[in-house]
Amino acid sequence: MTQDRKTFVAWLQAAPMMLVFALFFLLPLLFVTIVSAWDYNEYEMIPAFSLRGYTDTFEGCIADLPNLCTILKTYLNTLKLCLLTWGLTLLIGFTVAYFLAFHVRSKTWQIVLTLLCTIPFWTSNVIRMIAWIPLLGRNGLVNRGLEGAGLIKQPLEWLLFSEFSVVLALVHLFTFFMVVPIFNSMIRIDKRLIEAAYDAGASGWQTLVNVIIPLTKPGIVIGSIFVITIVMGDFVTIGVMGGQQIASAGKIIESRLNALQFPAAAANAVILLGVTILIISALTRIVDIRKEL
Amino acid sequence: MSERRPRSFYLLAAFFSAYVLFLYGPMFAIYILSFQGPDGGLTFPMNGVSLVWFGKVFSGSGIVDIGAAFKRSLQLGLVVMVLTVVLSVSAGLAFRRSFRGATLLFYVAIASLIMPSIITSLGIALEFRLLDDFIIKSGAANWTTAMGLFTSGLGAHLTWTLPFGLLIMFAIFNRFDGRLEEAARDLGATPWQTFRHVVLPIILPSVVGIGLFGFTLSWDELARSSQTIGSVNTLPLDLQGLTTTVTKPDIYALGTLTSAVSFLVIFSALVVILVLQARQRRHGSDAGKGMV
Amino acid sequence: MTKSSKLDRSISRRAMLKGTAGAVGLAAGSGAITGFPYIHGAEPKVLRYLGTAVNEGDEISKKCLEDTGIKIEYITATTDDVTKRVITQPNSFDVLDTEYFSLRKLVPSGNIFALDAKKIKEFDNITPVFTKGQLPNGKKIGDQGTAPWKVLYLEGANSKTFSKTPTEFVTLIPTVYNADTLGIRPDLIKRPISSWTELLNPEFKGKASILNIPSIGIMDAAMVVEASGQHTYADKGNMTKPEIDLTMKIMTEAKKAGQFRAFWKDFNESVNLMASGETVIQSMWSPAVTKVRSMGIACTFQPLKEGYRSWASGFCVSKAVSGPKLDWAYEFVNWYLSGWAGAYLNRQGYYSAVLSTAKANMTADEWGYWMEGKAAVNDIKAPDGTILEKAGAKRDGGSYDDRMGAVACWNAVMDENDYMVRKWNEFIAA
Repeated sequence: MTQDRKTFVAWLQAAPMMLVFALFFLLPLLFVTIVSAWDYNEYEMIPAFSLRGYTDTFEGCIADLPNLCTILKTYLNTLKLCLLTWGLTLLIGFTVAYFLAFHVRSKTWQIVLTLLCTIPFWTSNVIRMIAWIPLLGRNGLVNRGLEGAGLIKQPLEWLLFSEFSVVLALVHLFTFFMVVPIFNSMIRIDKRLIEAAYDAGASGWQTLVNVIIPLTKPGIVIGSIFVITIVMGDFVTIGVMGGQQIASAGKIIESRLNALQFPAAAANAVILLGVTILIISALTRIVDIRKEL
Repeated sequence: MSERRPRSFYLLAAFFSAYVLFLYGPMFAIYILSFQGPDGGLTFPMNGVSLVWFGKVFSGSGIVDIGAAFKRSLQLGLVVMVLTVVLSVSAGLAFRRSFRGATLLFYVAIASLIMPSIITSLGIALEFRLLDDFIIKSGAANWTTAMGLFTSGLGAHLTWTLPFGLLIMFAIFNRFDGRLEEAARDLGATPWQTFRHVVLPIILPSVVGIGLFGFTLSWDELARSSQTIGSVNTLPLDLQGLTTTVTKPDIYALGTLTSAVSFLVIFSALVVILVLQARQRRHGSDAGKGMV
Repeated sequence: MTKSSKLDRSISRRAMLKGTAGAVGLAAGSGAITGFPYIHGAEPKVLRYLGTAVNEGDEISKKCLEDTGIKIEYITATTDDVTKRVITQPNSFDVLDTEYFSLRKLVPSGNIFALDAKKIKEFDNITPVFTKGQLPNGKKIGDQGTAPWKVLYLEGANSKTFSKTPTEFVTLIPTVYNADTLGIRPDLIKRPISSWTELLNPEFKGKASILNIPSIGIMDAAMVVEASGQHTYADKGNMTKPEIDLTMKIMTEAKKAGQFRAFWKDFNESVNLMASGETVIQSMWSPAVTKVRSMGIACTFQPLKEGYRSWASGFCVSKAVSGPKLDWAYEFVNWYLSGWAGAYLNRQGYYSAVLSTAKANMTADEWGYWMEGKAAVNDIKAPDGTILEKAGAKRDGGSYDDRMGAVACWNAVMDENDYMVRKWNEFIAA
């Protein structure tokens, strides 16, 4: 096969996905970007060019110095939640993937355990979200259990509607997004490499740090992309678990949308897209996940 | 397995169990509260114990037809699953060679993940509105809308599942041994035969994983569907709609039933597989050996 | 379906018979008398009804099919999604169930059809609360905020401007409304509550909540500000920029001090917060209070001396609707106002738009309890037959005249809405 023909085949293989994205993402994104540069008043949007959606967003960023303006405060808070979630999902996700890849050696059991972790997600998130109150609330299972065990006298208030509960719910939702790519990277690792490391006298820890982690990097980066991109734009989980009182980039967009201020919402979405793309491209600069395909 | 498990196995198994326990945390509240008494609510305290809410799931809770929504979401989820697998594997193969637009496609996929779902949803809704207006202007008198479960809804779901499918394919093909394919080609296999008989069997379990992932993402999707589904809702949308009025523990019963049926199916499948493997071993076939 | 609701239905049929002679001149009667479904022509009459689940009753659609042959297909969504869908996809629904305050946003989109008042049979019997801003007995009620009569009429069939005087072009036909106040848990508060100031009283730190809709949340806060004498607004539903700043400042202080447990965004959440004891005082809806109470938990829809914040909703028709579908839409709206549905709404603790027809469909005891503030003679039952109140109970806040007469303001969209939403985001980030 000639090189040209190979590239053509590759192009054909990628074309269906490109088409789907072109129709259902790029074209809508174009409309959103156009709307983001529309003018609007209190009641409606006006199809005339204006950058108000953008300038309003950065309102007070210079005037309020040295105090932070709303948008910066919001992004800092979002980044904080994002980093906490990312760290925890990575730690838990890596360990779980390691267990599944190296200790559960039968494919059947790997699939069964994966399914076991998937079943909770087949009950709609709408229902699961409601269930956090009876679990973590003042009179919830956890507080009752701790009180019953005599560990606390007053119910713990910070279990629910706090940054703690936000991060907890995010970790709960997204750890598996970390597990899947890391697991897939791990099962590609040639078992003989690990045996060779052991034979050469490396400890379990040394093998982990010098052999397994470097070889799992692409999986880690892919999982990180999943978690970071989703948490940066999240407003549902942060909203419900934070009692609607915790700021996030997604929430600004949501409140603008719900007030039907589409141009401002669209402008905020474009800003969020820009910021997050920067983070991700920095990440893929460090580890090129497309290099060793 | 005959060799002794190392100590780390037990430590990690304990960690894994703790993780599973954490995953099921809110589910326990759901399981318990689905047995609420007839006057009970969605939170503790329990107000008696009964099975009425399970009955309500089957008799329908009134305003929305949960059964029909369940079926719609299942259909959509299955279609999304198949398309996600096919398109992701195909694009994954493409990325193993370089092609024009590879970087663009990669960043588009990432952008599709980043864009808050409600905005994507809104964009698609705008697009279909323009399409509808265009069709009506071209003289289709009785045209209502092109929006629907398997047009705008399907498209919206794919913008959510495909980036996951594609990136997981990257993890699967990472350091994939190309020599196997070369060997197959040297033996005269066509590209399709090479894929079908060499590549696919190796990646199959992971591809099943992508399917599972795609289905689960679509099944639970909410924000992206909200503006793109037309006049019939998916199950999560109907459930969310229900929360705008008196919501009863029947939605918990639905959760408990979903879990129970899933457990039952997976458990039976596991038993069948284990029995088959045991039989294969007894008959001296070596086909199953690599599995355990 | 339970036995009691069958009973309920046969009662209402009898009431219907009595009522037909008087006011209801609808074909609906024939279906009700024979008990056979009213079957119309060949084409099935289907209307897609977009709204929140609060007003979408299964019994309503069944009864409507029985009486008129119109099949109602509910499209259920959250309040926010409903308004967004009106803007983005007017082709996906026929009849829209929405609130008056949303009209300021929805009408400029051009997706709302101007209904012809002459085709609404009971239009002249709609309570003057909507048309004149006064009670049936002539008493004027509060007009702060987006009061229905400010946005009821359009200047022309294709106009996007609201008319100050009555015209024949109607934006939204009222169906249901209520006067909202704070819900409290008397068993946990253990003392009388009589003023809006209690919402921000540090005594209830971490146990208060408001609705997560900025334009409504800020009005609740304004009720507090006014009640505590810090400021008197010209119009709480249409604040000036300095007024928004002031109100937000007070809310921010409360938020920083940890006053709010959570803001609730849907009916169900408000019930769960209250029933689980997460909150003991919060803004609430009447049926949500009823629901908490039906679980055996003490909950009061507490009348307050500063008055109520009111809301009203009804039916719009999508601009995309035309031809026979439009006729069905009118037929449906006319059926809705003809009494059966009104009685159904009243029994949930809401108020119906045409009082006379609803009254004809309720027992004297029900009417006395829900509308006249009298003690119930028999047990009061919900439309689905469950017992809501025991005999002898009285409604919180009393009669229709007492409650609607004490309305201080209406749910609103302000002229400074854009500024307010920006300030709200600042408040959340603080």
